[in-house]
Amino acid sequence: MAKRHVLLPLLLLGVFSGGLWLAAQDDTVFRITVDMVQLNVAVTDKKGNYVTGLRPWDFQLTEDGIQQKLATFAEGNETPRHLAEFEPNQFGAPKVVPSSARVSGRLRNDQAIFSDDQQESVTSLIAGASVFILFDTSNYMYKGFVFAQDAIANFVRTLDHPDRVAFYSYSRDFSRAATLTSDRGQVLRGVRATVAGDDAALYNALLLTLKDAAQFSGRKVVVVFSNGPDNASMVAPEDVRELAQSEGIPIYMISTREARLEPVSTAVFERMSASTGGKAYFAKSWQDQQKAFANIRDDLAHVYSVSYYPQTNPNRGWRDIKVKLIGEHLKKYKIRTRNGYRPKAARLAVQSAPPTAMPPSD
Amino acid sequence: MRPCLRASVHVFVVLFSICGVANRSWSQSAEAPAQRAAPSDSVSQAAIPGPIRSFLRMAAISQKVSPDEILPLLARNVVVEGYQYWQDKARKPTEFLRLLKDYLEQARELQALAGLQETIRVNRCSEAQPLLTILGYRLRQPCGPNTSLETADPDKAFLTVDSGFPLADLEDMLRSDKPFVYPFPTSYVPALFTPVDWMISRRESKPDLVSTLVNDPALARLYWALSRIDENTRLALRQSPGLEKLIPFAAVLEFYGSHLHIRSGRVVLPGGEKAEPGWKNLVGSTPDAPADFVVKLLSKDEGWLAAYYDALSHVSRAQQSYFTEPKRLQRFYEALRGQDLSPSPARPVFRPNPGMMLLATRLHFEANGQPHVPGNLDIWKEVLRRKSDSKLVREWAKRAAKWNNSADNLVEAMFALSRVSTKDTPLQIFLITSEINRRRSPEQRLTPQTVRLLAEKFSRFGNQYPIFSEFHALNNAAITRFISTAEALDRIQDKALRANAVGMFQANIGLWQILARQEQIPTANWSDSWQRVIAPFANITSGPQLYNSARASLSEVSKAAGGRADPSQEELIALLAGPVQSAPEAQQIRQEIANRIRSVLDAQRLVSLDTLTQLGAGLNQLAEGNGMAESLIRLAGQLREFEMPKPLFTTRERSEWASGLYNNKHTATQMKTDLTKVLKTPANPQDLAQAAGQLVPFLRDTLVGLNYAYYEPPGAQMLHNNPLFVRSHDFSGEMTMGGEQVWQTPRMFGRGWSASGGAHLAGSLADLPYVLAQVEQDFIVPENVQSLIWEDLVPGMVTSATIPRWWRVSRNELRAVTLYQRVGEELVAAAAGDEKLRIDVMNILSDRMLPQRAEELKHAFRSQPGQDAVSNLTPSESFFLAAEYRSRFPGQPSIGKAGQELDSLVERYADEISLKRLSEDFGVPHPALAQSYGRELLNVKPFPTFLGYSSRLLAESWDSNNLYWARLADEMGYSPVMLHRLVPQLTHRMIEKIFATHLEDWPAVLRALRETGEEFRTGKIASLPKPAANNGGGS
Repeated sequence: MAKRHVLLPLLLLGVFSGGLWLAAQDDTVFRITVDMVQLNVAVTDKKGNYVTGLRPWDFQLTEDGIQQKLATFAEGNETPRHLAEFEPNQFGAPKVVPSSARVSGRLRNDQAIFSDDQQESVTSLIAGASVFILFDTSNYMYKGFVFAQDAIANFVRTLDHPDRVAFYSYSRDFSRAATLTSDRGQVLRGVRATVAGDDAALYNALLLTLKDAAQFSGRKVVVVFSNGPDNASMVAPEDVRELAQSEGIPIYMISTREARLEPVSTAVFERMSASTGGKAYFAKSWQDQQKAFANIRDDLAHVYSVSYYPQTNPNRGWRDIKVKLIGEHLKKYKIRTRNGYRPKAARLAVQSAPPTAMPPSD
Repeated sequence: MRPCLRASVHVFVVLFSICGVANRSWSQSAEAPAQRAAPSDSVSQAAIPGPIRSFLRMAAISQKVSPDEILPLLARNVVVEGYQYWQDKARKPTEFLRLLKDYLEQARELQALAGLQETIRVNRCSEAQPLLTILGYRLRQPCGPNTSLETADPDKAFLTVDSGFPLADLEDMLRSDKPFVYPFPTSYVPALFTPVDWMISRRESKPDLVSTLVNDPALARLYWALSRIDENTRLALRQSPGLEKLIPFAAVLEFYGSHLHIRSGRVVLPGGEKAEPGWKNLVGSTPDAPADFVVKLLSKDEGWLAAYYDALSHVSRAQQSYFTEPKRLQRFYEALRGQDLSPSPARPVFRPNPGMMLLATRLHFEANGQPHVPGNLDIWKEVLRRKSDSKLVREWAKRAAKWNNSADNLVEAMFALSRVSTKDTPLQIFLITSEINRRRSPEQRLTPQTVRLLAEKFSRFGNQYPIFSEFHALNNAAITRFISTAEALDRIQDKALRANAVGMFQANIGLWQILARQEQIPTANWSDSWQRVIAPFANITSGPQLYNSARASLSEVSKAAGGRADPSQEELIALLAGPVQSAPEAQQIRQEIANRIRSVLDAQRLVSLDTLTQLGAGLNQLAEGNGMAESLIRLAGQLREFEMPKPLFTTRERSEWASGLYNNKHTATQMKTDLTKVLKTPANPQDLAQAAGQLVPFLRDTLVGLNYAYYEPPGAQMLHNNPLFVRSHDFSGEMTMGGEQVWQTPRMFGRGWSASGGAHLAGSLADLPYVLAQVEQDFIVPENVQSLIWEDLVPGMVTSATIPRWWRVSRNELRAVTLYQRVGEELVAAAAGDEKLRIDVMNILSDRMLPQRAEELKHAFRSQPGQDAVSNLTPSESFFLAAEYRSRFPGQPSIGKAGQELDSLVERYADEISLKRLSEDFGVPHPALAQSYGRELLNVKPFPTFLGYSSRLLAESWDSNNLYWARLADEMGYSPVMLHRLVPQLTHRMIEKIFATHLEDWPAVLRALRETGEEFRTGKIASLPKPAANNGGGS
């Protein structure tokens, strides 16, 4: 068996940074910093069942139409491996795994889909992920507050295998109730210590959560529990989504059907989560959120992690990412992943000498 | 106005916050052991069921308060947050109060379960049911390692988690089948008087002060009011007239009673003995009969006399001597009182506008002791005669016709008009013109013509006037030129052109302000350079002309600061980053400042100034038949590089869900601009020349972006994550009715509207540092679970950290600031054992302290060696005490080592460390209080909250932060130039730590200041650098 290299700590530190230097006409030199791009790719059939057993050669990636070469690949809980570690011509044997998850995020009934035992087995598949939980403690959550707490506590308890969990909450302001830790007790105490009340600034809080998550290596997801409305954010959801896309962090949003009464939130939840590679769930009530958690765990357990170093690309703006499956037999499957990102541009002078002294006046 | 602490759940209930300064001992630990004090024989304690921590959570009280603050704050929260008010009366209880009452019931049940041992004990999982029933939970699975809790009764469960019951620990114990033990004691906290004293309604069968306060808002208000009065006065009032008789005046007492001070059986009056006849006459009683005097004072004229008394008590003794001259006292009060007492100044839940307090505090006096009159009295007669919707103003206009030559006439009218709450009043004109003249020498003062002009144009341009207050050397011609140019801009017909012109005009003036403030534009050149910067905007008729004018104006800004005409973007950033430095550390700091500016420009994806300059020049050359269009095409492509964020909403959705907030024509114009078309298509010279007009929106954004970037608040997120923020600044005036917003302080639009594209500003660039801090404040993360960012106060604190630059501060200055604070502390420590010194110290501090704090300080003097008293002083009080003592008693030998070192320093570097210079360098801006962004130490008492200002005046009267950060830097060996890094970061950290209960909770600010200092001293703030060797910059 090929030797595995643990790459994750290096990937997100940008050690293998694929920096591009672009000289603009005005002599201002920009550096486009593009580290390895990581994607979580879910492959499903028409019914939303996961397709597993695919290999790197089954995927084709393009960025702005430029074909990309995969650098690493992993399925589910595997540690990402260099492509060289895969045996050539070893084609995968695609297998469809029945899923409890519904891509649309709409749970069809109120029955428990997973038993607790099943939840455990699913949870065991998502080793290595850091889960950032963001909990709405605004006035909008008042009625469901205790039920949502129960649901989150249960979710945290069943997350036995991910490396670390962080628990944050928000109303008008943001609170880091438990920073990223493997100590579940600390997280549970954080959950139970939250206080309800005040306005809701979801997108402000989501921005800060993503910024925190971006500082850590490895696979990360953000799971948001919110009743929907935002009446205090400064930042726009579009900006938050772009950050999530640039950092490669999928956002899962869990809400109640009450949120559906507010079409703005529904639209944002569904679109933001989908375009970052996550999902949105709207359950009947907070008591029913257990099923949504099971779905998230299921989703995380079946996605493929692929990465690549972008080929030379002069585009300093938004870059479209497209992922396709190669081969007639795979064309029937659907792909869900983030649809692009915006590279960070930093002016070269930022790292140069002190500001120039003024030349003599004309 | 927003609270600073989450008061449990408030569903659809507006939170109001009022009230005043909390009790002493703010510096004590949050977990003060006295919280579990055993009941003593003393009857001045009240019982609270359950742990204090839980009670504080439910009562929306900071966990860091001292025990003696708890009941007053409970009373305050019951009054302010416990009821919805209608026509001055508390009507419907809020959710907050319902939850608090329910919690007390639950706590009593738990107490019963805890039994005499006051401990809840569950030996094993199977015995948990009684406890779980009270808590509102049940077992999700049968007892065992997988069991967990789930909600059975949501109402009870809510109380359980909201009060912080250790549910997670209980679950752990149940899963492991180990005993759960949780102390659940009755807690005792200090009470005013005895619980029996408060059984006024006779409804309770036994004294239970907590229940009394929770159930009786009138008594709660009286309790809160009395808690803010010094102890001797309080005791005297309890004795006579007694609590019951005070209840009807509780609201007046709460708002205006904190200066009531009874000593040796007499009321101590503002103005002292000389003022006694006047007060006797007004009140209708003698201060020798305190009970009668106080009741009459509080009851007269629905509280107006008490409000007047309080305002005059708030000012320094020197100012009091003017106002309280008996005839004036009477005359000014009658003017204030007027014919109509309604509305009362004590109506819930905020004091009315702060006009009277500002007038009394900021009235400027000439050397002869007379009030300063901007211009002359005739001008003010004209001002009063201006068309006004206010009947009161019209009435005083008639009276003004009979004025003699005394300035008192004008002050009298201003007292009367202080009750008018609209934005455009003669009082506001008087205050700003007085502030403008305050910092000017007689020859620099506003001429009567300029005063008239400023008054006439106040309603439109008034928010711009603080520039003239800050830059005192701007002469009358410069001011007049500004007004005429602004009016010319207003006359531009084309809306887009006008908005761009106004934006560029203000952006260039903003850059001029920065460079003048940083002393890169010499004071002697202010007026001349100002006019040169303004002149190009005098007659704008087209886009290309505006482009050239803005460039010309920018050249003048650069040249005024010693830079090149037509500066590059890097040159401009270098200028904004501060004067050129020679020391390596200072160079590094300057580089950091420049990098922060670049970082914002990059994040906002603004087109480089250089690109725009080259395009403009290239188009001109092409129009003249020179140059190659091809070379410009790639540059023009940069205008197309900006991409809007990928939309989440359709156009229709935005229209439906963002109420027009997203409809930004300016950005839309930019997105449509394609200069390459002009360059690729053979065009005539006229078309090419006209094409420069297409650069205007981009140039505006870059210039405005430089202003935004310079004032970046610490921890800013909008500036770095919302690329539309600068572009969306709306200079059109169309966001408000009448378009008056164009020249006014910008207002925020789009907050909390998901489809709006993010919050953005509409209005001028006046007050930009404060408004940016407002936008960014909620990205600061409070350290404490229940606390919230204190809106209105925090932007003031942030502004105090972002405005100052420390290039000219020397090591001697830094040392002097430290020594003044230490000398103040030495004086207080020594006063503990020296009665004469104690009197002198108290005389000085009484100008800065409310009577209650002064009394507490006196009590603290009794402890040896005076450390309690020292710890109660704010940094600005210590500084003020030392400075004032040295001024009043110049011959006195220094008391301690700090005093001796300061003597020596003053002797050697008198000018360098003069108080004027220290005030300019370590003071803070007071844009609301003194209408200037100039830095200054004001030395005033903390301001209370007022309608429309909330805690902003409190923040501006604080003055302590920069003094304290400077002292820390000095004591830890940092060079002055490092203050550029330390001050924003320490301020940011301090804001995270503020855990306040209400909107006047300045002790919470002091506590956060000290905690931050302690973290810094012990190296716990990781992001701050270690002090370097003494090679710092500055001078």
